[in-house]
Amino acid sequence: MSTPHHKATGWKALLFRHETVLLLVLVMEWLYFNSVGRHFGSLDNTFDIVRHTVEIGLLALVMTPIILTGGIDLSVGSLLGLCAILFGKLWRDAGMSLMVAGLCTLGFGALAGGLNATLITWLRLPPLIVTLGTYSLFRGLAEAITHGADTFTNFPASFLFLGQERWLGIPAQAPVFIVVAIAVWLLVHRTTFGRSFRAIGFTPEGARYAGIPVERRISLVYVLAGIVAALAAIIYTARLGQAKADAGTGYELFAITAVVLGGTSIFGGIGSVHGTLLGVAAIAVLSNGLVHARQPREVAGMLTGGLLLLALSSSVLPKLLSGLRARKSAANVAPIAHQTTP
Amino acid sequence: MQKLVSFLALVGLVLATGCSKSANTPSGSADQSAGKKLTIALMPKSKGNAYFISCKQGADEAAKELGLELLFDGPTEPDPAKQNEIVENWIALGVDGIAVACENKEGISTALRKAKQKGIKVLTYDSDAAPDAREFFVNQATPEGIGYTLMDEAARLTGGEGEFVIITASLTAANMNEWRKNIEARLAEKYPKMKLMVVRPCDDLKDKAQSETTTLLSAYPNLKLVMAICSPAVPGAAEAVKQAGKAGTVKVIGLGLPGENRRYVKDGVTQSVILWKTVDLGYLTVQATAALAKGDLKPGANTFKSGRLGQMDIKGDNVLLGKPFIFNKDNIDQFNF
Amino acid sequence: MSWLRRSARLKKEWRHDPEALMLKRHFRELSVAAALGILLLFLAVAAPAFYQAQPLLSLLTREAPTLVVACGMALVIISRQIDISVGSQFAVCSVCAGLLAALKWPPFLVLPASIAIGALMGAINGTLVAGLRLPSIVVTLATMVTWREGLRWLRQGEFVNLPDGVQWLGLSQANGQRALIITALVVLVLMALAMKHLSAGRFVHAVGSDAEAARLAGIRPQLVTFSTFVLIGAFTGFAAMMNIAQSPQVDPKSGTGLELKTIAAVVVGGVAISGGRGTLWGVFAGLLLLACISPALTHLHIEAYWEKAIQGAIILLAVVADGLRTRSEKR
Repeated sequence: MSTPHHKATGWKALLFRHETVLLLVLVMEWLYFNSVGRHFGSLDNTFDIVRHTVEIGLLALVMTPIILTGGIDLSVGSLLGLCAILFGKLWRDAGMSLMVAGLCTLGFGALAGGLNATLITWLRLPPLIVTLGTYSLFRGLAEAITHGADTFTNFPASFLFLGQERWLGIPAQAPVFIVVAIAVWLLVHRTTFGRSFRAIGFTPEGARYAGIPVERRISLVYVLAGIVAALAAIIYTARLGQAKADAGTGYELFAITAVVLGGTSIFGGIGSVHGTLLGVAAIAVLSNGLVHARQPREVAGMLTGGLLLLALSSSVLPKLLSGLRARKSAANVAPIAHQTTP
Repeated sequence: MQKLVSFLALVGLVLATGCSKSANTPSGSADQSAGKKLTIALMPKSKGNAYFISCKQGADEAAKELGLELLFDGPTEPDPAKQNEIVENWIALGVDGIAVACENKEGISTALRKAKQKGIKVLTYDSDAAPDAREFFVNQATPEGIGYTLMDEAARLTGGEGEFVIITASLTAANMNEWRKNIEARLAEKYPKMKLMVVRPCDDLKDKAQSETTTLLSAYPNLKLVMAICSPAVPGAAEAVKQAGKAGTVKVIGLGLPGENRRYVKDGVTQSVILWKTVDLGYLTVQATAALAKGDLKPGANTFKSGRLGQMDIKGDNVLLGKPFIFNKDNIDQFNF
Repeated sequence: MSWLRRSARLKKEWRHDPEALMLKRHFRELSVAAALGILLLFLAVAAPAFYQAQPLLSLLTREAPTLVVACGMALVIISRQIDISVGSQFAVCSVCAGLLAALKWPPFLVLPASIAIGALMGAINGTLVAGLRLPSIVVTLATMVTWREGLRWLRQGEFVNLPDGVQWLGLSQANGQRALIITALVVLVLMALAMKHLSAGRFVHAVGSDAEAARLAGIRPQLVTFSTFVLIGAFTGFAAMMNIAQSPQVDPKSGTGLELKTIAAVVVGGVAISGGRGTLWGVFAGLLLLACISPALTHLHIEAYWEKAIQGAIILLAVVADGLRTRSEKR
């Protein structure tokens, strides 16, 4: 029960609860799939889940601060595709070494994120619309450069190691993910940046009056998203051993779903990185486990949608019910007054 | 209040998982008790695609005959990364054989090699992976065969001269790019008087194919033929040609299923639809995978006895289904899929 | 979202400006119309083949259902919500209507059934958004996935073959095409008039501008929001029927990408994503502009590889122009 006397702790309790519920869901998913699928709980399968989820997980991680500021980025999936083919192009056609090509790709990701950031902050345009435009633009550029057909393959084994092999017993891309996860967690939860993201999400005007450089902070999160999308593109390329213009199609929706499932409010201001990680894990385990439960792929999509609605309702319902109760006890005349036309 | 909500959420999830559990238990327990029952996994390029549904029809038939468990799953949209994931899931699941229609050669081969290493028998059908990643390829028609047949048919219908256009699913679809390459090669080699004006994508949607064709008909007034190389595009293009009142003057050919095109073929809007017997493709694939898993079929064999289809030829590591069919006005009623 | 709140101030300045000239008030609509005009003029010079009666009529018929959905989308966005499930709703309505028609239901019964199914799906969105106060973008994301995957699961992508007489609703092709275009235009005009002259239309604007102020003025914002979602659902059902009347088969994947197409048309047409501002005339111009780009590129013999990039660039250009203008106005 959230007590009205301690608003801060009540709010924190709510946050805590949401993540607890999600964790329970995750544990139940795990137990259920473990009981129906003989090999679901094996270490190999667990690592498979990790390998399959790293790219979407990376995108979800950087989507969290964006949504915290009240923004959204629909272009990350397309940017992943564009970066993947750019990386392939630089390596194969421009003759760069993989290292240099990778660094250039990261730089390009930052630039592309910067384009989003400029349009959003300088022109004060809604992020939804800006990134809807760049969503088409980035994918379109990727298709235009490769004519849709050109595929980059035959990467050296040393590079494919990053996506396909194990390093110290764990999937080689896992350490990258862990480092990014820790960095984003620290940024959001342990620095003044993180607090400013929330402040901007609650009220950008208020944040400005409080002396927060709103434009610079917002730019930061979109540029960060661009860099990490480029990183995800490199890992994607290493995992599949190929780069093509359709890489990462639809990943933005997965990432947003994971973030929202993790308890971050789409209106900004509220949310956590560990919630996002749980959200990513819940979706990944569901999608993997259903194969072990021998359910068709469509069911995974439907259950993800259902889970999303369930998570949302569970965070909103108490507020709504207590609101209703308060209204009932406050005045019975109010609803009638509302019905009068102006 | 919080507790109530958490409780409700949990109840909801239990119900959700409970439902799927009850639906699932039979297959799960059968798997454990029967022990030796073979499990064969079959992957289409994407779910919800009529072409692969008719493959599955044949696959189910073969699975029933052989008494094995058939898993049929794939990505909901053609996506090499998702295909890769599902194969790896199947490896963890411990299936006996995997047969895949590959969206993308390179993307799937890493996962298939892994399956082979684990002793799982791997086949490809419909479109191939890298040769070292699988034992056999159930070959319904080579890209060359498809491309050449389409181009020859187009030339036959137009008398070997005139403009034509291609409608494809998407600019990134690997197998269609392969077909296009072969169509263009055949064109350059044999039909100098024909001209490919443009290639337009329709996103695998019938409605968009219809819009695209409408525009193409007005943009290229001398058009002689529309070649639709993905199955929803054939009826879409035919409808556009019919609505433009150009049925017969602008020919329509393509790769598609007879059921979707029957009325256009009969009305004389679509001249010919090229396809192999998809039901047989699914049947043969499952038969071959099962034989391979049982050890009845070994690499290097020249023939393979496949249930109701009888003796099938094997050329190298390709199990051959036979030549593609050309459906037209005269024979389309013989096929009901 | 923060940018929702940010532009509220701007809108108030607009409304109270005594010198709100016609030109200024409809600057956005007029600029889109001008862009469309330039494109059409350019085509007249560079590709006169674009102007042929029959292909043009077919093109407009193809876009007629989209226009109806875009009208609903405009309402939803003006009331400061969004609906990204329309594409999936469209597919569900199409398949249901197709199956009913295949059961020999006459078209005049299939049409209301399709509308009712759409309205029901809209009501589900509306209940979740208005009743439970959940964010519409997430609710409709969830329903989008659920409807689409559910349909795929049940139907496995099979085409529905319609009996004769459903296509063009029994009219001749030319009459059927004209009827569909006129229907869509009638819907547009009625909705545009209703938005301006009926109190219900003004409620939508009011709720989108400032839900709290609207509530204090005696409007019930939740009811208005719920209604807009039911309406867009019903419109989608209607549009689905308009679409299946154009061909003898129903593709269960139809409507894929419809949400992006209509949202882009609405935004390019000058409806503020932050709610409260915009007209259906602008949406009409925006839709025509976007609908012309792809045929224009074909007529200009530009390779299809560039199409997506050009579309993205045009959307960006439209919003950047808008952003620059509001920026300079503030100074």
